[in-house]
Amino acid sequence: MPAITLRDILINARQETVQMRHFYIGVEHLFIALLQIQGGLASSILQGQGLTPDYVIEAIRRKAGRGSPQRLWVGIPDTPRAVLVLDIAKEFALEAGRDEAGERDLLRAILEENDNLATRTLRTLGADIAALTEAARVYTPTTEAQPPDLAVSFGAAFDRSEAIEREHLFILRRMFASYPKIRIERRLTGFRKALILVVTPIQADEREAASVVAKIDLADNILDEVQRYEQHVKSALPLQAARLEDPPTAPEVSELAGIKYTLVANSGITPQDLRNRVRDQGLDGLGRLLKQELYARFSKNWWHQNRLFRFQVWMEYDWLLPPILILDAADESESSRNACVLHIPFNRARVKTRLKELEFGDTVILENFVVQRADHHTNVLKLAIGYGDEADKRAYKVDVRGLNLTKGHFYRGEVIERLVGRVWKTRHDILVESALSLQPDFDLRGRWIPSGKSRVLNPLNTYDDLLDRHINGSQSKIHGDLHLGNVLIGPNGSMWLIDFGHTRDGHTLFDWASFEVSILGDAVMPSLDESWDTARLILQYIVALNTRTPISSSDSRIRVAMETIEAIRDIVQECLTDETRWDEYYTALALCALRAITWDTMSLGGRRLMFLLAGLMALEVNYAALVPETLTPSPDEDGPISPGTSTPKTDVIDDLTPDHQSRPDILKRRGIDSWPDDKH
Amino acid sequence: MILRLEITIMSGVDDGLHFNHSTENGDGQLDDQRWTISIGRREDSDICLRHDVFVSRQHALIYWDGYRWWLQDCNSTNGTFTEIRGADERVSGTIPINPGELFRVGRTWMRIEPTE
Repeated sequence: MPAITLRDILINARQETVQMRHFYIGVEHLFIALLQIQGGLASSILQGQGLTPDYVIEAIRRKAGRGSPQRLWVGIPDTPRAVLVLDIAKEFALEAGRDEAGERDLLRAILEENDNLATRTLRTLGADIAALTEAARVYTPTTEAQPPDLAVSFGAAFDRSEAIEREHLFILRRMFASYPKIRIERRLTGFRKALILVVTPIQADEREAASVVAKIDLADNILDEVQRYEQHVKSALPLQAARLEDPPTAPEVSELAGIKYTLVANSGITPQDLRNRVRDQGLDGLGRLLKQELYARFSKNWWHQNRLFRFQVWMEYDWLLPPILILDAADESESSRNACVLHIPFNRARVKTRLKELEFGDTVILENFVVQRADHHTNVLKLAIGYGDEADKRAYKVDVRGLNLTKGHFYRGEVIERLVGRVWKTRHDILVESALSLQPDFDLRGRWIPSGKSRVLNPLNTYDDLLDRHINGSQSKIHGDLHLGNVLIGPNGSMWLIDFGHTRDGHTLFDWASFEVSILGDAVMPSLDESWDTARLILQYIVALNTRTPISSSDSRIRVAMETIEAIRDIVQECLTDETRWDEYYTALALCALRAITWDTMSLGGRRLMFLLAGLMALEVNYAALVPETLTPSPDEDGPISPGTSTPKTDVIDDLTPDHQSRPDILKRRGIDSWPDDKH
Repeated sequence: MILRLEITIMSGVDDGLHFNHSTENGDGQLDDQRWTISIGRREDSDICLRHDVFVSRQHALIYWDGYRWWLQDCNSTNGTFTEIRGADERVSGTIPINPGELFRVGRTWMRIEPTE
């Protein structure tokens, strides 16, 4: 390989600074130029710390931000710090008896200076600068392009109907390169590029090491997960937990990366996830285990932190729903005077009205939206109102199609000052499409959805009002993606949480609402059948559960299912901020259920139940809003739902009344002796 | 007593530039117990950031009150920020600032150097 000269590197640096509209050469541009060398020294030594060049480049660009179009100087000067670093590099070269600095000299100089934007960014990503400095000094590329031969066998529980893709096997071989053999015990999840496996490494003398959980996904997702683990999870794990001990495996040649979760306190048992367990053994006993194993063990550091947290619902839940808009990128010339401008920061109420008026083909101008991801496979640029772990920064998603997403054109976290597009679909369109795919046997346009002899609110008309509500809730560390596939269980019932890709500080009840959705949609419905009638039947049992009415069913599957949901509700009861205000939970559940109707991974029956559940929960929330109204002397006063969104009383009173549930029971539960006369 | 302040620019086209100010040279503004150094795009600012279009004419002040350094945002358009756990946090009003801590004026990061 020909030596890379300083000239080559400076050409790269120049391209970078022009693309970022910086128009100066700083140390960060020099470092990015080094990272852009395929198989170069910089990317090789970062790989040793589990970082990929692209990941680091994006983090540096995020930190620096794109420059403004106006330029206040001529030419492309070097910054004082870049001059200093180039001088240090020259000294390294002279020491080695060379006239001109090369790749290694420059890299060493940047790390040595260690006060520049590049090394500052590396430190926030958890890199060890001292180790990198040493590696840059001594690293010699080896010709180990071919990973060592690793024999892969499959355990008895592995479902062979779906083969593991070559790309995934490649990462797997790298991850377990220090063993001669591995046995893949089972597949836990496989969704798009993400693959989670239980793997037993086997040593040369045939001794088996403890099984680990291997997760393979797009490199960005894996590296983000490691960042979140370091930031949120590491310090708050109970003794028995899945831990990340090794740095991720992120080869430069693949877009995928892998991590290994070690199951501490796991002695020679092969765990399975709850999804598999429930499929094989049903839900029997699961409720008790959830309370005793999962909740009891994790709640101290997680869900019981209970910091008071008042928020408007959209801040925690808007990101769950489909994008507010899918746009086709358009030319600046198409922006007209009456185009709809969405400018961040914005006023929610005003934007809500504007979004409602938008139709196919309308022109929209986005200002200050932030890039979440540039999806090269689907050619979609994903935007939202901010960037970071918090839910509110991921709210108001907009997908833009038809842009040039060539590598490096957009970076994650970039603030896009202005972008013009035409409406292809609105959030409402997407939700209606999903609802239609459920083949409803009722009219989707009405305010009500019939359910047996009674009815629930149409969730398609109510979610926006739910997002407007204010909640006095609590915030804690949450898993962020709690479902049956992310909880592992050993033969003795012990449980581990895995997959911390969404862990953050957020609304405490979110985890339990998602978990209830997962149990109902992934376990209960698939064990029965897919019909609307079955979904309605289950819904009636949920109504009974909401009112704490004893449940009797001759079907043992339903009895066990409801016991499990009841266990979740017991946990929720402990996590409610005000133990009498269940609307805090119902709001979360309504939105989690609505989100699930768009999932193609959930069974048809599951999604049908989710649609009805979202409607039921919206109705429950409306009841809760009525309570203060009936207790205060003035019947016209607004409840917790913000002005303009409260529903006329006549609508609410005329609601779902299951056969076994009489109205006085609902009222009693709410502490009301009699329902106020309908004066309308 | 002679007061000194060394500020290093940590990003942008002037990355690595040092500003040295001292009461001995008559820099800044000294009244009573307070020594104030101004930051802005105006030519007569003590620390003039003429290359950052996101900096207001009079953007921020750093002052010594006899005990410690304070950073004050002068209602600037694009704000003054500190770095808290990797995220930028906008300064409202006046906050204490320690040597070695990074802060951002407009788009330009800078820091007070520790003095011996």
